[in-house]
Amino acid sequence: MSAILSAENLYHRVSTSEGPLTLLNNISLQLARGESLAVTGASGSGKSTLLGLLAGLDKPSEGKIWLAGEEITAMDEEQRAAVRARCVGFVFQTFHLLPGLTARENVMLPSELRGERGAAKRAEEFLAKVGLEHRLSHYPRQLSGGEQQRVAIARAFASFSGEDAILFADEPTGSLDAGNGAKIIDLLFKLNAESSTTLVLVTHEQRLAERCATHLQMSAGAVESYESLTGDDNLSEVSA
Amino acid sequence: MLPLRLLFRDWRGGELALIASALVLAVTCVTAIAHFTDRLTRAMEQQSLTFLAAERVLRSSQPVDTAWLDKAEELGLQQGQIIQFASMISANDQFQFVSVKAVDSGYPLVGHLEIRRSQDASSEIVQQGPPPGEAWIESRLMPLLEINLGDSIGLGDTQLKVTGLLEREPDRGTSLFDMGARVLANVHDLPASGVIQPGSRVRYRYLFAGDDQALKEYFSWLKPQLTEHQRILDLREGQPRVASALNRAERFLFLAASLAVLLASVAVGLAARRYGLRHTAYVAVMKSLGAGRNKVLAIYLGQLGALTLIATALGLALGSFIQAQAVNLMAGFFPVAPPTSHWSPLLVGLATGLACALGFALPPLFRLARTDPMQTLRKDWSNPDKREWLGLILGPSAMLLLIWWLSGSLAMTLALLAGMALLVGGSALVNQLLVRGKLASLGGAWRIALGSLQRRAAFNTLLIAAFGTGLLAMLALVFARTALIDEWRMQLPEKAPNHFLLNIAPTDVNGMRQMLEKEQVSSTEFYPMVRGRLIAINDTPTKELKDRPNGVRRELNLSWTENLAPDNRILEGGWWDKTSEGVSVEVELAAQLNLALGDQLRFSIGGLEVEAPVASFRSLDWNSMRPNFYMLFAPGTLEGFPATYITSFYLPPENKLLINDLVRSYPSVSVIELDKIILRIRDTIDQVSFAIESVMALMLIAGVLVLIAGVRASIAERLQEAAIIRTLGGRRRLLLKSLVLEFGLLGSAAGLLAAIGAEATLIVLSQRVFELPLMLHPSLWLLGPLVGAILVGIAGTLACYSSVSQPPLKVLRELA
Ligand SMILES: Nc1ncnc2c1ncn2[C@@H]1O[C@H](COP(=O)(O)OP(=O)(O)OP(=O)(O)O)[C@@H](O)[C@H]1O
Ligand SMILES: [Mg+2]
Repeated sequence: MSAILSAENLYHRVSTSEGPLTLLNNISLQLARGESLAVTGASGSGKSTLLGLLAGLDKPSEGKIWLAGEEITAMDEEQRAAVRARCVGFVFQTFHLLPGLTARENVMLPSELRGERGAAKRAEEFLAKVGLEHRLSHYPRQLSGGEQQRVAIARAFASFSGEDAILFADEPTGSLDAGNGAKIIDLLFKLNAESSTTLVLVTHEQRLAERCATHLQMSAGAVESYESLTGDDNLSEVSA
Repeated sequence: MLPLRLLFRDWRGGELALIASALVLAVTCVTAIAHFTDRLTRAMEQQSLTFLAAERVLRSSQPVDTAWLDKAEELGLQQGQIIQFASMISANDQFQFVSVKAVDSGYPLVGHLEIRRSQDASSEIVQQGPPPGEAWIESRLMPLLEINLGDSIGLGDTQLKVTGLLEREPDRGTSLFDMGARVLANVHDLPASGVIQPGSRVRYRYLFAGDDQALKEYFSWLKPQLTEHQRILDLREGQPRVASALNRAERFLFLAASLAVLLASVAVGLAARRYGLRHTAYVAVMKSLGAGRNKVLAIYLGQLGALTLIATALGLALGSFIQAQAVNLMAGFFPVAPPTSHWSPLLVGLATGLACALGFALPPLFRLARTDPMQTLRKDWSNPDKREWLGLILGPSAMLLLIWWLSGSLAMTLALLAGMALLVGGSALVNQLLVRGKLASLGGAWRIALGSLQRRAAFNTLLIAAFGTGLLAMLALVFARTALIDEWRMQLPEKAPNHFLLNIAPTDVNGMRQMLEKEQVSSTEFYPMVRGRLIAINDTPTKELKDRPNGVRRELNLSWTENLAPDNRILEGGWWDKTSEGVSVEVELAAQLNLALGDQLRFSIGGLEVEAPVASFRSLDWNSMRPNFYMLFAPGTLEGFPATYITSFYLPPENKLLINDLVRSYPSVSVIELDKIILRIRDTIDQVSFAIESVMALMLIAGVLVLIAGVRASIAERLQEAAIIRTLGGRRRLLLKSLVLEFGLLGSAAGLLAAIGAEATLIVLSQRVFELPLMLHPSLWLLGPLVGAILVGIAGTLACYSSVSQPPLKVLRELA
């Protein structure tokens, strides 16, 4: 399998009022289609920063990133946005549903931004997949945290328009209690398997990281360990 | 049509309503005010034209060339003619000196006459003077001549039948020297009467009306041909005092409209800023979902465009509707039937909507489009973007251009700008003082209030500036209006003399004085009056002076007195003691003539010449309604010349009959009834102040609405805070008290600032626009903070009351 996401010698520096700050220090990685990557590390170690760069939300100071066969580090913001619109989905720790839109409208949003027809129908399908077919026209404030995250997951899967699909999740269970968190993770892995999406997951939880095929541990912006977990088959465990 | 759908979805969430209503409010206010001022200004202009009884008047001391009138005919102008002179009329062997006004069928071109056909009939409105062979007289003449309606009066060699009692002429009062009671006759009877002889003092007035273009063409053709004895009167020239009142009123109304625009833009600015902040999260999420910057811009520009269009259209309709209702309600107060609406106020409303939306809503949107999508991965949403200059420049400059366009006066625009600059700079300072103060030690509610103020320090600066603008507008309006009306009042003091007696023979002075004293009417001094012409200054003939001032072109009334009148003040030189001689010159005339103390003035009086040195310069108040003179001599210089005397006095309306007794006892005396003229001017002033008060009311409503819009912007945050405090065991009373304190403090801060700003604005306005003397307003400094505290305290507390009253659980859940 060819790599759907790869990064080469990434550095990211920002200037702050206290001088320049290196957030990422020489990071390289490769991820094949359908694979899953868990990024772990202490708070402030640069996990979210790496995730954002990999998804093309920002440009690294140095280094190259290929996403779905295109070098996004050579693109301008508009072009990267186009790549995101096609191949990237997000699940955030704090859900980030638009409060003025209903569940259905939130899920419709990615398709609408691409200018596609049939957005509503597609949204309803995805909401059904996450078990919220009865909450279509509820606003985020009328939903519980777990329900909101399920809408966000539906929205993430509605974000893909082609074969190349990468789902980025930044601590998707961070705002949920243990029970709800487990349900969300199960859902995430289930949908991921069904649509053979590639998954990049930032998490604190070791238990969660272990369900991913690859594991990148960070420390102070650098790679502490980078290993492929072969042996027990995560995917089959989920689908069982 | 993604933007539209997003707009409507977001609307359903209830979040765009604020910006839309701010925009609607803005456009509504401005459209209503623009409509209203437009119609009122035109009504007042029309009213003032009635003072002329025409749109333009050509005044002449001789009949004009008929070719001139033919030319007007050719251009399609309407015409009318007045011939006015003083004459004796007779009936039943009684003689009366009256002011005859002979008019043709064109008179009056503007306005109307009011007459009574019988003594106990009510007055009726007519559009023409009496037909040939008839005359209309003032009722006062009937007892004097011992006649009744239907009797005839003799004017020279003709007899005219009196068929009406004259109640009102539109152009009465265009001259203070209309002597005696009025007789209105028809010009066709004049030739037969033979009263107009060569040398008689007769004034001819030719009236014109028609479309502006034709009038302009006619008078630019006519102007070069005029002689020294002819003058064109229009709205401004014809009635200097009314014209300047009108001019000021017009400026004032436009100032009010400008301030309404400013207030409105603050509301839109507040709402737009809030909108931008709230949508930062939206945009970050949309960007992470693949929307590029251009897409985001397109979406939000589309939204703003749709919103602006809808809100502006709504505002235009509402503004027009409100204005129509207001004008209908006030139809009785309008001087003339309110003219129909123009379309230009709609243009003003549209421009306002666009300026507010583009100037104040565009910068937050551009800023929004620059949102960093990485934010979605961070925990804090504060995204300090330093490139705010667009917002700082675009909005204010859009307002500046708009106000400049509205007011047509750069001075006024700059005055407003000065006040605003002070305000914005000051609000940051005042806010700092408020937050840094040691008020927190005063107790629980104070601590919560100050905490709330501190947490919103940046936003409060904006709020103080906004409240400040509203208050500034109101204060500046109230005080500017007070100053204006006071000045008008001062122009027409209570019990100001309302009658002049002229042509009093020296032998009659004592008798007349006794007669007035017996009736307990206190008159001013009796001044002797000699008519003479200033012919040379230091032996330089005045004929050789460059653009000869009025004072040397015509005869002056010369007088002498021992006592300086109370409204006169010596500015330079000295008033005479028993021995000194010379002449005291009114200071403005002296300036025009470039006089210095000691200059020798030579006068020609009835063919004889008199010389006197300039002894002093004197200021005087022409509005005091007392006899006043450009030239006052020391007693002794003019004693040898034949003089008549002049005096003025206040006569209460119930003593009006005294005039008849006076005229009967002293038939040669001429009476000028200023009370009638004053009544006319008062009418106009009343109408102007009513207009100002209506605009004030609109402004107040706009101000309070802006205030509420500003407070509502922070309501979500407040709900949450209040819910948390209550969950922690805080009482509602405590929260309520802290709310009152918070807004009271905010209001008094804004009020203080507004007082400073208003004072600055008033200084600039009084100097540059209204030309009033410089004055400070101590009461403003007290009133500002007080009104601010009360107004903002009440409005703010009410606007936030739901945050205190709602159950905390519900709030926390909805806002989580
Ligand atoms: N734009 C920026 N400017 C300055 N510092 C930044 C910026 N972005 C991130 N940082 C800093 O970089 C470090 C890494 O941030 P990042 O959010 O990637 O950490 P993280 O590993 O996701 O932490 P957490 O587990 O708490 O989410 C942090 O110390 C953060 O404060
Ligand atoms: Mg993170």
